[in-house]
Parts: sequence; C-alpha cells; structure tokens
Amino acid sequence: MMLEGIIDIRNISFYRGDRAVFKNLNCTIAAGKITAIMGPSGSGKTTLLRLIGGQLKPSQGQVYLFGQDIALLSRKQLNHLRSRMGVLFQSGALFTDLSVFENVAFPLREHLNLSSEDLYNQVLLKLEAVGLRGARGLMPAQLSGGMARRVALARAVAIEPELILYDEPFAGQDPIAMAVLQRLIKHLNTQMRLTSVLVSHDIAEACAISDQVILLGEGRVLAQGSPAELQASDDPAVKQFIHGEADGVIPFHFAAPPLQEELKGLNHD
Amino acid sequence: MINFIADLGAIAVGKLVRIGEALLMLLQALVVRPKVSSFSRLIQQLYVVGVQSLIIMLVSALFIGMVLGLQGYTLLSAYGSEQAVGQMVALTLVRELSPVVAALLFAGRAGSALTAEIGLMKATEQLASLEMFGIDPLHRIVAPRFWAGMISLPLLVAIFSLVGIYGGHLVAVDWLGVYSGSYWGNMQQAVDFNEDVLNGMIKAFVFAFLISWTALYQGYSCTPTSQGISAATTRTVVYSSLAILGFDFILTALMFGGTV
Repeated sequence: MMLEGIIDIRNISFYRGDRAVFKNLNCTIAAGKITAIMGPSGSGKTTLLRLIGGQLKPSQGQVYLFGQDIALLSRKQLNHLRSRMGVLFQSGALFTDLSVFENVAFPLREHLNLSSEDLYNQVLLKLEAVGLRGARGLMPAQLSGGMARRVALARAVAIEPELILYDEPFAGQDPIAMAVLQRLIKHLNTQMRLTSVLVSHDIAEACAISDQVILLGEGRVLAQGSPAELQASDDPAVKQFIHGEADGVIPFHFAAPPLQEELKGLNHD
Repeated sequence: MINFIADLGAIAVGKLVRIGEALLMLLQALVVRPKVSSFSRLIQQLYVVGVQSLIIMLVSALFIGMVLGLQGYTLLSAYGSEQAVGQMVALTLVRELSPVVAALLFAGRAGSALTAEIGLMKATEQLASLEMFGIDPLHRIVAPRFWAGMISLPLLVAIFSLVGIYGGHLVAVDWLGVYSGSYWGNMQQAVDFNEDVLNGMIKAFVFAFLISWTALYQGYSCTPTSQGISAATTRTVVYSSLAILGFDFILTALMFGGTV
C-alpha cells in the first residue's frame, strides 16, 4: 500500500458507546504543510487529534504516523515516535508545579542529553520566539491564558519536532494573542520546516495560515482542499459551515421535540 | 427475581473489573527499573505526603494520649492499680489506636490531596501531555506518590505512638501524680517488641498500601470534571476509611485472636 503523507488515516471507525464518531474516515496530511482540521462542535476534531497521537485507538482501520501503523507499535516504540512530535493542548497543559523555564526545559531534559549551558540557552531561545523570555521565572498560575498558550507552544517546539499538533490554538484568545499565535504557527512552520496540524473552528484565522483544510462532519470528511477551494465550494454543508449559517444541512439544534410542545402554560388553540 | 439476581451479579462483576483495573494500574506503575531522577521525585513526595501530615499527627497523638491517660487513670484508680496506666496507654496506642487513627487521618489529609491532585492533572491535560512527551504518567506521577505513602505512614504511626505515650505521661504522671518509674517500668515490662510493636507496624504498612492504592486509582480513573474530582476525593476517604477499619479487624483477629 502506498502511503502519501506524514499522517495517513485509512478507513477508520471510532465509537463512543453506541455513537459512531467516525465511519470509514480517510485522509492524508502532507509533510511540510499547515493542515487545518475544521468542523462543527462534536464532529470529532479533537478525537481525530488523539487518534493521531495514539492516545485513542480506532475501533477499525489504521492510523499511519511517519509511515508506521501505530496500533502495531509497542509502548516504547510509540513513545519514541511521540518524541518526534509536539502537541499544543487546548488548555496549554503546563505542569503547574514547574516554572515557565522548567516547563520549556522539560522535554529537553527528557529527550536530549544537553549540557546545562546548552539547555539554558535553548530554553531562552524558545521563550524569546514566543516573546516570553522575561517571564521565565513565573509559575503557570501567574500567567494569563494567552501567555500560558505561548509558553505551551515554546514547550511543544522545544525539541524541534517534525510534526506539531495544535488543539484549538485560537479558542478564547484576545485579538492580539490570536494574531501573535497565527504568526508564530506560520513562522515555525516555514522556519523549522515542520508539519503542522491544527484543529480549529475559527474559520478566518485557520484559513489565513493553512495550506490545506479538512472539513469534518457526520463522521466523515465532508470536504478537503485549499482554503480558496473550500470558500468557493457549492456543497451545502461546506457553504453552511464556512459562512456560519444556523439553518442548513448541519443541524444547529440537538434533536428535540418541537418547542411549542415543550413550553409550559401556553395555549396552543 | 431473576432480574434482581442478574443486576446484583452485574454490579459485582463491575466492582471486580474496577479492582482488576486498579491492580493493573499499580502493577504497570511499579514494575519499572528505578532511575536516579525518580529518587528526587520520591523525596519531593515524601515531603508533601509525609512531612506535611506531621502537624495533624502530632496534635492528634498528643490529645489522644492525654485522653487515654485520663480515662485510664480514672478507671484503674478505682481498683487501686493506677500504676498500670503506662502499659495501658502504650498497648492501646501501639497495637490499635496509632495505626488506625493515623491511617484515618492520613486518608483524610494526604489521600484526598493525592486524588484531587491527580484528578486535576487529568482535567488540565497534564497527564495527556506527559504521555505525548513519551513519558508514562504511571511511572512519573503514580509510582513516586505510592512509595511516598508506603514509607510515610509507618513512620508517622511510630511518631504517633511516641507522642501519644508522652501525652499519657503528661496527664497521668505530671498532672495526676502517678509515679513516673511505674509508668515507664510497667510499660517496659508489658510491651513486647514482636507481639505489639511489630504487629502495629505491619498494620501500618497494610493501611499505607490500602490508602495509597485507593487514592491514586481514584485520581487516575476519575471523570475529569469538577464534579468527577469531588466525587473521587470523597470515594478515596470513604473507601480507604472502610478498608482501614475492616482490615484492622481482620489483622487484629489474626495477630491477637489466639491470645485473647
């Protein structure tokens, strides 16, 4: 079988209880590009990210990471593969008992055998890249949400991974932090020639920096292509999502009986 | 009726599965070659779990010893044998009260904190992020906390007994006037190292295992929401307290059952 990308997802199905999150999902993420995975809430974006990272196992199908089927790897092999990738979690997930400096130093200490001078310089350079060199002595509890996300980004790229996964990098950020993060992601991608996968439903921000967009919905890939191709798409679901329309093929309301039947004390006659 | 029995069976199977999961978690966490860096993490946890529980242990032990001295004196002086108060205080503490009370306090003070800490690490994706750095959270987070509990509680129990005996001395000797020589002398004669002190320490190790295991499993397997963490913390205290009391009876029956 020919594998095309740094990540190849083949025919995966994934169930939570009886509900199918994915059914026979296929997609390929090309090396060296920024790929945005988008879709409405509950379409399984974060689940897909966790399947790629090997934190979840698909019920059926294969996830190939760097050309290897992760279901067939031992824990040790999987951990080795993970040392080639970085993840930016939605909450930042900084270690609350470590300072900003120690958080960024953490993966370096674990995976690389650096002298203390090199380690210090590396951490400072990474923090400089996210504009937080001066905050290295602070604890995570003293950081704002945007700052915590930037520290987490510095930590995720500390060991210079080949692949980086961003989970909702723009959610809950103010416009300045959003623009800074956008620039950083783009910059890291071109500077370090890494592959970036970002999960987001901030359409404008994600489209502005990504080379490829994968739109998820109904447990499958609804559409795939460059941001411009998706903007121009005639597909009703794609149009509804891209233009943010409440009424359309993607239901906005969770399944429920009609409102009139549910409201109390109303005379329907 | 059949349905009722089936439901009962399903509940029992569910509980057994949970116990199996908890055992597996512990095995995965503990079967690992120790590294130099894991030693420093153990020291850190010994401080959090052990040293920080010291104050509550010292204060409780002092008061319990004082109460024992007072109650013992009142009871024994009715028979004119208040000299035996030393041995009564020491035997009660070393055999029974120190391991049980220290363990109950430890479950409330350190066990609940462990569950809440690990639960919050799970909720804030810190465990997931360790995993994505290629580090097993069971080795990094669970193992040092488990060993810290196993080492701390027996030491705390020993300290508890010492302070309690001193509390008894304060009341019986310094306040109520029992002769100090008979307080210590009777105690020395009555307390046997193997029979009493060692058995008390065995209890401490068993309780330390029960508390650490319960607290860590509840934290690691909790639903990562505020409600889930609060429920898991409560379960830690309730389950470990019940386990302590239940196992205390079993151990006491095994250790002292034949001699009563």
